[in-house]
Amino acid sequence: MTDATTLPAAAMPPRSARRRILMRRLWRHRSFRVGAGIVAVIVLMAVAAPLLSGGQPNAMSLRNRFAPPSADFIFGADNFGRDIFTRVLYGARISLWIGFASAMLAAAGGALVGMASAWFRKLDGIIMRIMDALLAFPAILLAIGINAALGPQVSSVIIALASAYVPRMARIVRAAALVVRELDYVDAARVSGAGAGRIIFRHILPNVMAPLLVSVTFVFAYAILAEAALSFLGIGPPPPHPSWGNIIAEGRDYSVEAWWIMLFPGLAISLAALGMNLLGDGLRDVLDPRLKIEA
Amino acid sequence: MKHFTPGRTAALLLSAALLTTAPLAPAFAQDPKMGGTILYANNSGPGQLDPQMAASLVELEVIAHVFEPLISMDANYDAKPMLAESYEISDDGKTFTFPLRKGVKFHDGQEMTSADVKATFERYAEVSPGKATLADVKEYRTPDDYTFVIELNNLNAVFIDQLKTPVYPFSIMPASQRNKPAREIDVVGTGPFKLGEWVKDSHLVIEKNPDYTPRDDADGPDGYVGKKEVYVDAVRYNFLPEANARVAAMQTGEADITTALPLDLAKRLEGNDKVTPVTVFPYCQQYLIVHSSQAPTDNRQVRQAIREAVNVEDLILASGEAARENFSMVYPGGAFFVGDDNAGWYNQNDPAKAAETLKAAGYNGEEIVLQSNTNYSYMRDSILVLAEQLKAAGMNVKVDITDWTTNASNMQSGDGGWNVSTTSFCSNPILGPQQWQTMIYNFPHVENNKVLDDAYAKFYASLDLSDRVAAWKDIEAEVLDGAYMIKVSDRGSNRAIANDLKGFREFNINLFWGMWLDR
Amino acid sequence: MLKLIAFRIAQAIPVMLVVAVLTFLLMHLLPGDPATIIAGDQADQASIDQIRRDLGLDRPVPVQLWHWIVNLAQGDFGRSLMLNQAVADAVKERLPVTLSLAMLAFAITLPFGIAFGVIAAVWRDTWVDSAVMILALVGVSVPNFWIAILSVILFSVTLGWLPSAGYVPLHDSFSGWLASLIQPAVVLALFQIGYLARMTRSAMLDVLDQDYIRTARAKGVAVNTIIVKHAFRNTLMQVVTVAGYILSLLIGGSVVIEQIFALPGIGRLLVQAIMARDYPVVQGTMLLLGFAFVFINILIDLIYAYVDPRVRYD
Repeated sequence: MTDATTLPAAAMPPRSARRRILMRRLWRHRSFRVGAGIVAVIVLMAVAAPLLSGGQPNAMSLRNRFAPPSADFIFGADNFGRDIFTRVLYGARISLWIGFASAMLAAAGGALVGMASAWFRKLDGIIMRIMDALLAFPAILLAIGINAALGPQVSSVIIALASAYVPRMARIVRAAALVVRELDYVDAARVSGAGAGRIIFRHILPNVMAPLLVSVTFVFAYAILAEAALSFLGIGPPPPHPSWGNIIAEGRDYSVEAWWIMLFPGLAISLAALGMNLLGDGLRDVLDPRLKIEA
Repeated sequence: MKHFTPGRTAALLLSAALLTTAPLAPAFAQDPKMGGTILYANNSGPGQLDPQMAASLVELEVIAHVFEPLISMDANYDAKPMLAESYEISDDGKTFTFPLRKGVKFHDGQEMTSADVKATFERYAEVSPGKATLADVKEYRTPDDYTFVIELNNLNAVFIDQLKTPVYPFSIMPASQRNKPAREIDVVGTGPFKLGEWVKDSHLVIEKNPDYTPRDDADGPDGYVGKKEVYVDAVRYNFLPEANARVAAMQTGEADITTALPLDLAKRLEGNDKVTPVTVFPYCQQYLIVHSSQAPTDNRQVRQAIREAVNVEDLILASGEAARENFSMVYPGGAFFVGDDNAGWYNQNDPAKAAETLKAAGYNGEEIVLQSNTNYSYMRDSILVLAEQLKAAGMNVKVDITDWTTNASNMQSGDGGWNVSTTSFCSNPILGPQQWQTMIYNFPHVENNKVLDDAYAKFYASLDLSDRVAAWKDIEAEVLDGAYMIKVSDRGSNRAIANDLKGFREFNINLFWGMWLDR
Repeated sequence: MLKLIAFRIAQAIPVMLVVAVLTFLLMHLLPGDPATIIAGDQADQASIDQIRRDLGLDRPVPVQLWHWIVNLAQGDFGRSLMLNQAVADAVKERLPVTLSLAMLAFAITLPFGIAFGVIAAVWRDTWVDSAVMILALVGVSVPNFWIAILSVILFSVTLGWLPSAGYVPLHDSFSGWLASLIQPAVVLALFQIGYLARMTRSAMLDVLDQDYIRTARAKGVAVNTIIVKHAFRNTLMQVVTVAGYILSLLIGGSVVIEQIFALPGIGRLLVQAIMARDYPVVQGTMLLLGFAFVFINILIDLIYAYVDPRVRYD
């Protein structure tokens, strides 16, 4: 990522070795191990959905309406006779994609805004005031507003959730970037005539990666929860998309008679969020123990 | 519950009907107890209570208790005088004379006179979306305080039937409201209840009107008319948007009556010895609306192919509604029900034939957009099942689920690129052809259909009922054959009533006069 | 100090305006016509057009925006299209509900969140720590509306202990108010309790790991005194800094909770207004909420300055 000549000739082990040490420390961290395990299983289930279930997530068989969990329907069937197990598997694809994409988008936006704010000091005041004002809004309300305006699509949900989290990310990145900015080698680069873009991406970005990565995992977890809440309010990914939130929303009228419809996707959401939070805890402890942000 | 087939649905409805008659029938033998407050768990609340602007059920349910029109509907949905003592139609069918009841008082204590009636009609002609009814009025006359006369320019054989409409009702308001802007009236009527506390999104209370004098030309309540006696002190409408919460409220005794229950949820109350679930018919009719000015469904044969592919039984099953199969756009037994002649286009369930029709239509895989919304789950669920049925017949289907506002606006305007959508009509099938006209032309966006135009012209010009029925038969046949609308079902309304709430009558809305709490 | 508050409010206003304008434009980009909904589905096009004219919705969007801003400058938030009342009144009517819910949830969050965090930190790396922290993790990982539905089935339907839905105003009956809110408030607080417990624990550990504490401990000062005097005080300071964030989480979370428990609060108002394209209500509510949070944040800064004398605003 960084080319060796621009690094200060400090007594630092080579990059690959450092990475190895980091990985070992991460792996020794119990939260990280458990979290990574949970997330890996869920990702695997999402990827291997067609192998784990022969059916299609939207295939209906009204004869099997409300079939309870059995050998044929491991998680039971919903009011269309759709197999909940298959829907939860394919739902993992949508829900994880929404979580991943909105966390990444928020990170990218937050990194740009945060670094720009840290580097171009004249812009700092304005940018951070805007971010503060946006932070004043509850994230879910922002997401509801943006999502409503963009219309019911998976991409709207992603954009809405990402925008809601940009200000938080920007704040974290700015704080980290302000520290890096004052380091000697950044000064050296500036003196030697490197452009702002080059310095930001070459020197500052690698150094804000740690806090950014940690917050990405927490935003990931939160986005999965927020998607479910949006679906519950009827403004999530449009049906028949089997997102976890949609399965719960469609099953909520039958919560007593056909409890399986909303039980299993609810557990899936909780597990996925739990896994990401554990992963985030581990990353934070190892990469950036001073970081105070959490879910 | 898990494997229920249409046969079992019918059995279930039957048992529900039996259950309802059992505890309620002897109720009439008892003497009503006075007092108490009925708790009504409703799914949502009104935004406003101007009768002349009211089309939604939640508004109309309150308005029916607080206001009264000159002419209203009895239990069979026929026109009967309410605030009018009676009515008289001139031989040429142009002049309508309404002697008014004397001593009727508004909630503010003023006596109702012909001046109030005239002011109400004048305001209606200005602000109400239903004002087309009054477009042909030549003049209003008030020969004395208790007589009101409407004179039309042309013969209108169904004018009285138009006046009984429960949607945008012709409720009489004090003359002081004459110039109030739409939706900004004072809620002052002549009804047996008056408006009490109203907290939007939370609850609304109607209180007994102690000065109310019921009509004495009937033994008891008769739909919106008859002898409307109030036994309770008040009715409190609690607005609970989640169906689960409404059922829970019935189970815990936080509600005495509720409505808008999905069929599968209503079943939760079976076996509860304090509550009886009821399914009320007739309520609404569900249709698939096919956009006839939007490719590829501007092609009559493509529309017909869609109709041929429809399996009504599965649509009903998936919709989670208590519904009956009925091919007609009116109800069996009504004056305009024309028998089985128009039944051939219903529930064809023939994907093979649909595929042939598509071929004949020159259909070449053009996208057919099915639009629905997340707010009404029965609409969403019907459309999801329809999508599978149309795919099986070889159509290239795209499902587009938005929210109700978008969906409804698109149906109205024809925009939004949809081909098929679904909705229900509640008052039109009861009120008949004149009430159907706007909807038949509007939602499917019918353009240049001479069959319909001619039949409707004939309808309005026929003083003889049998000629009007013949005209309607042609209208219904054209709508169904041309697949402008595809009939799905007659939906019932699933409600639940506490066993100690007595005097309930099955009607398309819940009316609280004549009901009392036996506790 | 006063000058500073005034300055911060003044700073917030232009940003709020930008947010307001953005909300306005976003709302008007939405498909769907409120006039159709107002007229009802039996209306013909002419009536819908008339309603649109009456409400001024037929004017170009920039003109509508201009009128809205002009009125706003005079303190008029406009009139709801659906509710037939002033936006300010609609918000005023619903604010007590949401505030009651949020404050009760806040009151539940604080003691439990802090207690769990302190317990975990004091018994760090023992089974107590693990157990408490796993609970806290579950709290931040479980969707609250899902728990809400399960909770209604258990506590309202099966056990019959609590009402399943509805709101009783405080001035009607205190016990009724509490009964109507306790279930939604606890469900709403679960996430925040987990969040606060996790934060409290790490804040406590920060202090406990600092050199001067270690020194004190080495000198034989009792562990309990250390915890109370140093770590806890420091932790409380941290709690103040996140109080605003917790409140904003609570208000946001109440949107879904109000829907399930049929509470007539701000969240339900907003969601319904979006659904019905009640533009003035959406714009007004967002703006008022934004202002509310700016004030809350200023308030928190003041409290912070008060409890931590090291912080000075000049």
